Amino acid sequence: MVANVKVTGFRRPGGRFGIRNHVVIIPVDDISNAAAEAVARLVNGTLALPHPYGRLQFGVDLALHWKTLIGSGRNPNVAAVVVIGIEPAWTGLVADGIAQSGKPVASFSIEGNGDISTIMRATRAARDLVGDATAIERTECSLADLVVGIKCGESDTTSGLASNPALGVVVDRLAVAGGTVLFGETTELTGAEGVIAGRTATPELRERFEGMFREYADVLERDGQDLMGSQPSKGNIAGGLTTIEEKAYGNIQKTGSGPVVDVLEPADPPTRPGINFMNTSSAGAECVTLMGAAGAVIHFFTTGQGNPVGNPIVPVVKICANPQTVQRMAEHIDVDIHDLLMGELTLGQAADRIVSAFAATARGRLTAAEILGHREFILTRLHRSA
Amino acid sequence: MTYDEGGKVRMLVHDEGDDVAIVLIDIAAGTDCTGSVVRTGAPIAPVRAVDDIPFGNKIALRKIPAQAQVIEYGAPIGVATQDIAPGAHVHVHNLRSGRW
Repeated sequence: MVANVKVTGFRRPGGRFGIRNHVVIIPVDDISNAAAEAVARLVNGTLALPHPYGRLQFGVDLALHWKTLIGSGRNPNVAAVVVIGIEPAWTGLVADGIAQSGKPVASFSIEGNGDISTIMRATRAARDLVGDATAIERTECSLADLVVGIKCGESDTTSGLASNPALGVVVDRLAVAGGTVLFGETTELTGAEGVIAGRTATPELRERFEGMFREYADVLERDGQDLMGSQPSKGNIAGGLTTIEEKAYGNIQKTGSGPVVDVLEPADPPTRPGINFMNTSSAGAECVTLMGAAGAVIHFFTTGQGNPVGNPIVPVVKICANPQTVQRMAEHIDVDIHDLLMGELTLGQAADRIVSAFAATARGRLTAAEILGHREFILTRLHRSA
Repeated sequence: MTYDEGGKVRMLVHDEGDDVAIVLIDIAAGTDCTGSVVRTGAPIAPVRAVDDIPFGNKIALRKIPAQAQVIEYGAPIGVATQDIAPGAHVHVHNLRSGRW
């Protein structure tokens, strides 16, 4: 039982557990990346989260920008934060949003000061925050205390046959143990959306899910577009997947079989234990980033053809059942379950292997993506800029 | 195992009533394939491949007429764009999405 697997984590103010202890330097906007990265170069134990946005956004797109930056700072894998922005108002907005979680935050704005003075002041603050963060000790927690994101990428037919069903068993075990799991990928449910709708826990949730699904379908219809050529992707087709419906049925195998207890907007923190749907892109790094902003501290990512995606603050655990990929792209794979596909392993044994990797990663073992420096911090945009 | 004890290539289906199975090795036309259902291990009727079919690709388990829905996971995954013979390779050349 996963509830009995004891690991250690960093208990944050508010009671959530993280499994990493990062001090992050968050730029509010694109033109603050240089200063944020300069601070991270000067102070050991810090990590900058550069990104290309934050200027002249508006409406729901701007709201999602704030929610993603603030949520990433509040993620329990983060011990403390330095926020750097061009001007004080929006810089303060992000810093205050993170500080409400109770963790230490320092913020600096560049306008009227210049990069060099800002870097100097932010470096002093970061130096002290790292000292304090590294004094935080790990304490015991259970796997069910850790919020989990799941996603598949560069999928092929081995995903639907083996890696996704094995992850689905783990998801069910976590849900039964009181854990919280996030899945998303709205477009990638196309063809199997009725199965997910049928698993929503209440009629109100079903309506909200169907509304989110229709919203993206309406955008395609309005623009006279379809996703032929994107869904399935060229990589999917090379791996034997032919249609979006086939890909969707493979995809949902990883969501287990339990009820969908909530339907969340992008980057919204889950409040209900169990299997939560979040309205996200199916693009790997965007989805992992949104789930990290919602508080996921680990991400299980199944792949067939091989996808190296990572995230700066959320360890991404790669699971693969394709016997060719686990050899050709071995350095990217954390959990090799190709023997499940070959009939030499049961689904339960494959799930046990994923749980073991979960526990090892929680205790501090680095994932392939962490070791190889994959730090994709990719913000979802809903509009073009004003 | 990739090969059954009888030396026949193994394939897997998601659901008992599926029109297609996935082959677990590159196979040549004329190869006899036997298979089972993923979750139950129940055997399915064998089929002889009529095309070369690469690892991880689909093989038709029965005749599928043009315009018919193709069933995998016990659900429609698209529409046949031409008549598909038992043992034929099923992919983008003879199957397209019902959604786009």
